[in-house]
Amino acid sequence: MNARIIMKLHVERRDQLDEDLVRIWLRHPLRPKLPAWSPGAHVDLRLGDGKIRQYSLTSDPQDLSQYAITVKRENAGRGGSSWVHEHLNEGAQARVSTPRNNFVLVEAPSVLIAGGIGVTPLISMGRALMQSKLLHGFHFCSQRAQPKVVEELKQICETSLSTYVSDDPNSPRLDLSALIAGLSRDLHIYCCGPEHLMTEVKELTKDWNQEQIHFEVFNTAADEGYKPEPFDVIVSSTGETLRVPANHSVLDVLRMAGHIVPSSCRQGLCGTCECGYISGDVIHRDSVLSPDARQDRMMPCVSRARVSVTLDL
Amino acid sequence: MGWEGKLLSIHIAPEASYEMEALEEAELVAGRGIVGDRYYLGRGTYSPKPDCREITLIEQEALDALVRDDPPMQGSSIKIEPFEHRRNLTVEGVPLNHLVGYRFSIGECILSGGRLNFPCRYLEQLLDRPVFLPLYNRSGLNCWIEKGGVIHPGDQIVPLNEVTTKPHR
Repeated sequence: MNARIIMKLHVERRDQLDEDLVRIWLRHPLRPKLPAWSPGAHVDLRLGDGKIRQYSLTSDPQDLSQYAITVKRENAGRGGSSWVHEHLNEGAQARVSTPRNNFVLVEAPSVLIAGGIGVTPLISMGRALMQSKLLHGFHFCSQRAQPKVVEELKQICETSLSTYVSDDPNSPRLDLSALIAGLSRDLHIYCCGPEHLMTEVKELTKDWNQEQIHFEVFNTAADEGYKPEPFDVIVSSTGETLRVPANHSVLDVLRMAGHIVPSSCRQGLCGTCECGYISGDVIHRDSVLSPDARQDRMMPCVSRARVSVTLDL
Repeated sequence: MGWEGKLLSIHIAPEASYEMEALEEAELVAGRGIVGDRYYLGRGTYSPKPDCREITLIEQEALDALVRDDPPMQGSSIKIEPFEHRRNLTVEGVPLNHLVGYRFSIGECILSGGRLNFPCRYLEQLLDRPVFLPLYNRSGLNCWIEKGGVIHPGDQIVPLNEVTTKPHR
């Protein structure tokens, strides 16, 4: 579900939270209220070259007069955060999508585990859980001390906050296995941070009800450098195998073979050509299907597959 | 056809997916579109697919019906603001579905009804509201601009009762 309205927002203010950490406050130039969002939501930010990066909203969803995103400059990254730090100064225009939430907070007692800049989606979640008295701990690990972030989290989470700074020999270390072993099994766990943190949490919660374990995973920006490869399509009703060359779509190949498939936009946007698939590793490149629908539906005008896909046709 | 309608609002977007911006005055260019709009600039979602999209219209009456959940198929009221539906002109008192293949005027401009607009999932995704089915058969009219000029909200819309054919563009 990638299609979203893009707004041209005004950079109202910039707060330097650390030498490489900035919070950008955004306001709509014409409307007093921005679209509503829920804790854990993110926006897409368009960079100068049209590429897209996703950033969690770190403001308060009850105050829709402005949005805030908090961005750490990652010099070894793909360039998005550096662009934000260099270009989104006060008075600049930011091209920002309406918010979406892939990291939805369930109304249940919860523990939050954040690593580094992965703290951003958990800030609004911590606030909401405190308001509903459902926060059973906010664990924030960072390499360096982050006094401004910690100060904000303390205001939000009060005594529920525990911090762990790996560069500080006097700081406690987060013992994840002890933490998780000590948690009541009716809690939900939300985790966002570096890969190794999320992998460890995943490993330690293997025997939990998986519906209670939530991770924020940002899609790496769709399509950058995507190169189509040839693959096979199997039509389940007839058993025929059709080769899809790199320069043709599944839709083209089906039509060339005489199948009638309605279509309209041919860009993965309108949803007309949607069809089911039975098996195969589909590379979804449309902007329409939800993650759930993608389990067995695809858009043959733009989506492809690795090696082969069997269509429910 | 004996009716007389009114132009309520004008909206354009600079590029595909960008928020629509309201205009108090718009310049229509025959054969191209509204100055500044994504389809005028060739940057619309459907620009790569040549079709009748120089200017698009929707009836306020259809939007009102969605608010009333009429017919009762939505389960609840759906409000679409004029800057959200992504058609350029919101009109009142204009039977758009009857204007396919006919000329009509808006202020000093003349439009030619090209084809009925078809709702698409893209809009549903953009708005995060289930508008696809409720907009069936009342999703508006895609038009060619026969005679350009300047239009304003409040302009009168009247039928010219002249049949038109698809222009060679």
